[in-house]
Amino acid sequence: MSELSRRDVLKAAGVAGAAALLPSALPGGAHAQTTQKRDLVVAQGGDISRFDPHFSTSSNEIRWTFNIFDNLVSRHPDGKLYPGLATEWKLTNPTTWTFKLRSGVKWHNGDPFTSADVKYSFERTWDPNVKSRVNTVFTTVERVEAPDPHTVVFTTKKPDPLLAARTAFYGGQIVPKKYLEAVGGDTFNAKPVGTGPVRFVSWTKDDRCVLEANPDYFGGKPDFDRLIVRPIPELAPRIAALLKGEVDIITQLPPDHGERVAANPSTRVVGALYAGLYVLAVNSKVPPLDNPLVKQALSLGVDRDIIVKELWRGRGIVPNSQIAKGDNHWDASLPPLAYDPKTARERLKKSGYKGEEVVIETTSGYTANDKPMSEAIVAMWRDIGVNAKVEILEYSVRAQKNRDRTFKGLWWSDPTSTLGDPDGMFWRLLSPGGPQDYWRHAKFDELGEAARFSIDEKFRGQAYKEMTKIFLEHLPWIPVIQPYEDYGLQKYVDWTPNPNQQFEIRRFAFKFRRA
Amino acid sequence: MRAVAVFLAARLARALVAVWLVSTVVFVVMRLSGDPVPLLLPPDAPRSEYERVARELGTDRPLPVQYGVFLGNALRGDFGRSIHFREPAVRVVVGYLPATAELGLTAFALALLIAIPIGLLSAVRRNSLVDQAAMAAALVGQSAPTFFVGILLILIVSLKAGWLPTSGRGDWTHLVLPAVTLGAFAMASIARLTRSAMLEVLRADYVRTARAKGLREQVVVIKHALRNAAIPIVTITGLQFGTLLGGAVVTETVFAWPGIGRLAIQSIYNRDYPVVQCVVFLSALLFIVINLTVELIYGVLDPRIRPR
Repeated sequence: MSELSRRDVLKAAGVAGAAALLPSALPGGAHAQTTQKRDLVVAQGGDISRFDPHFSTSSNEIRWTFNIFDNLVSRHPDGKLYPGLATEWKLTNPTTWTFKLRSGVKWHNGDPFTSADVKYSFERTWDPNVKSRVNTVFTTVERVEAPDPHTVVFTTKKPDPLLAARTAFYGGQIVPKKYLEAVGGDTFNAKPVGTGPVRFVSWTKDDRCVLEANPDYFGGKPDFDRLIVRPIPELAPRIAALLKGEVDIITQLPPDHGERVAANPSTRVVGALYAGLYVLAVNSKVPPLDNPLVKQALSLGVDRDIIVKELWRGRGIVPNSQIAKGDNHWDASLPPLAYDPKTARERLKKSGYKGEEVVIETTSGYTANDKPMSEAIVAMWRDIGVNAKVEILEYSVRAQKNRDRTFKGLWWSDPTSTLGDPDGMFWRLLSPGGPQDYWRHAKFDELGEAARFSIDEKFRGQAYKEMTKIFLEHLPWIPVIQPYEDYGLQKYVDWTPNPNQQFEIRRFAFKFRRA
Repeated sequence: MRAVAVFLAARLARALVAVWLVSTVVFVVMRLSGDPVPLLLPPDAPRSEYERVARELGTDRPLPVQYGVFLGNALRGDFGRSIHFREPAVRVVVGYLPATAELGLTAFALALLIAIPIGLLSAVRRNSLVDQAAMAAALVGQSAPTFFVGILLILIVSLKAGWLPTSGRGDWTHLVLPAVTLGAFAMASIARLTRSAMLEVLRADYVRTARAKGLREQVVVIKHALRNAAIPIVTITGLQFGTLLGGAVVTETVFAWPGIGRLAIQSIYNRDYPVVQCVVFLSALLFIVINLTVELIYGVLDPRIRPR
């Protein structure tokens, strides 16, 4: 109710606001499209809580730690891997990866960067005394060696085809050994020192974080003098700050507000197809969801086109499997998941479904459109004769249920494809012992395990094809949408968003349009 | 003098009991409300990780043990380390105090400076146009939800007219909208109460006497009436002051103001027990100090209720 009236007010006032801005924007003409600004101001929905990259997996933090620090390998907005602190890397034998490091790189405090820092960083992630939050990222690694200042050699327990990709995501940020050992973890967290394109200046909690451009950055000084990050938790003020020109980029722009930002003469919307999917994960252990026919009926009963069109204003695509578009081994030949209420009813009948309750447990506003999508889907399921129901959870309750694996039926999951590969996506979550281990299938498990440890991409491709077939029959997830992640920005900003929620401000992805 | 000391000592003892009770309730409620560990770990963390972090935070220990540790440390002013920020909770909370004080004091000053004169005027010119307009405005101020007022002000004053920044903390221009939003409710209630208290007093015999003595109306209103009407006004003002400093959650969230209310609510979501306990402890203390001050002011205003 309150949400509704708030939005309505916003819409009404938004039209008036845009109209009022028009005249002032006209005399300048192209004025709105270029700028002399030296500060880049970004507003995000939540605040940073720590800077130590090995203690953080939240997107509000990794946006910035990926810029204060560098990884060995960098995943660019095009989804491909490029040199970071390593200039080249190769598999020297099935269980050995050798990385050649960039020379002449300096830490923000002037210390030289060497292979010792790399060895230290990786070992720090799994060191039990450090108690990092990313100690499960590099479990495939047996040891790291630094034979000379510019070479690092990883030995893996089994062949690991994805090690380079792993080093590109969270946990893989390289931290300074000498500085960290001298000042300790707390001071490092408060005054981080990295090699990245921005240096830490100051942070006032819930107010602003100030970072300055690193003039000596090996990839070139970024196209600003300072980067200011402001948390603006409420959506309406965040959009107002953009429309008024107080901030240059805002994150987490929901699809139903994109039109306002696009209609405003000085701002625009850019989006990246999310590297991941929004799925309804299924507790396949409870009846009737232990019956594949029921799950097939549920999947066939979801009109995904309507959801994309109405709830996402077209900002998304219908998935065709458990693999996200853009990932390795995504099968372009598969059709999007079908909506077929007639077949759904038949399957339901065949399954012997007796009207048991099917519950979607959803948060409200934690993931975009979670509650509206739940309500729409429940209505669609009632249409095919399923006794479906929505229950609303607070986020922390959801987190507990996730840990204890006690979901009643279905719940939203928005797995990010951390490695640009099925292994870092569905297999990370659905594998035996994984966080969404509610369903097992001997063949599926065997293939997933084999694909994880094979360096033969052709074999892996075949394995994922077979797994997809099994997946679509048993549906441990009901994939719903692969959305665009939208950002609002000033027209004088040239910026390419990254599909995996990194926020790339290096020269290849960001610049101001100068007059 | 001795009477005042005894009075203060009794109040202090009661205050300590109140602080202890509040802390205990918050301790228990926070523990019952859920576990911070799942919120700290990535969703795909294995079981052993959850156990390790629980051990590290001490949340795996029995509740009475945790309570004993909490109480022992709190007595020494140590609220533990923030789970979310990885630094001492007290340091986190103290960092938020300046912003809260700045906003709360401004809103309070605004409320007092506007509400009391308006309340007075409304009472003196009862049923005039001024009175009716003021009371209508007060009704709106008291009943409009804070987020609504806040967002409306942002859209109209900042975005459409372009006079003030939309949100955030900075120079005085950033302070205006949140202070007005926050102060609106207090302003309205103080104005209404001032009016009704004054109306009552203005009917009293001693006011008629004062007028009959031929005193100037100003003197009658300020010296005779207002002083006698002051006790309820001071009471509500004190209460509002506490609320302004401690309960600005919505205003702070709408205006992205880095204050204690926002910290409290986020810490509750994060199950950051140490920070929540520290905030609540400080708020309880604040209310107690304010109440005590209000009672002392009573004594100054009205010799009849001085402790004897």
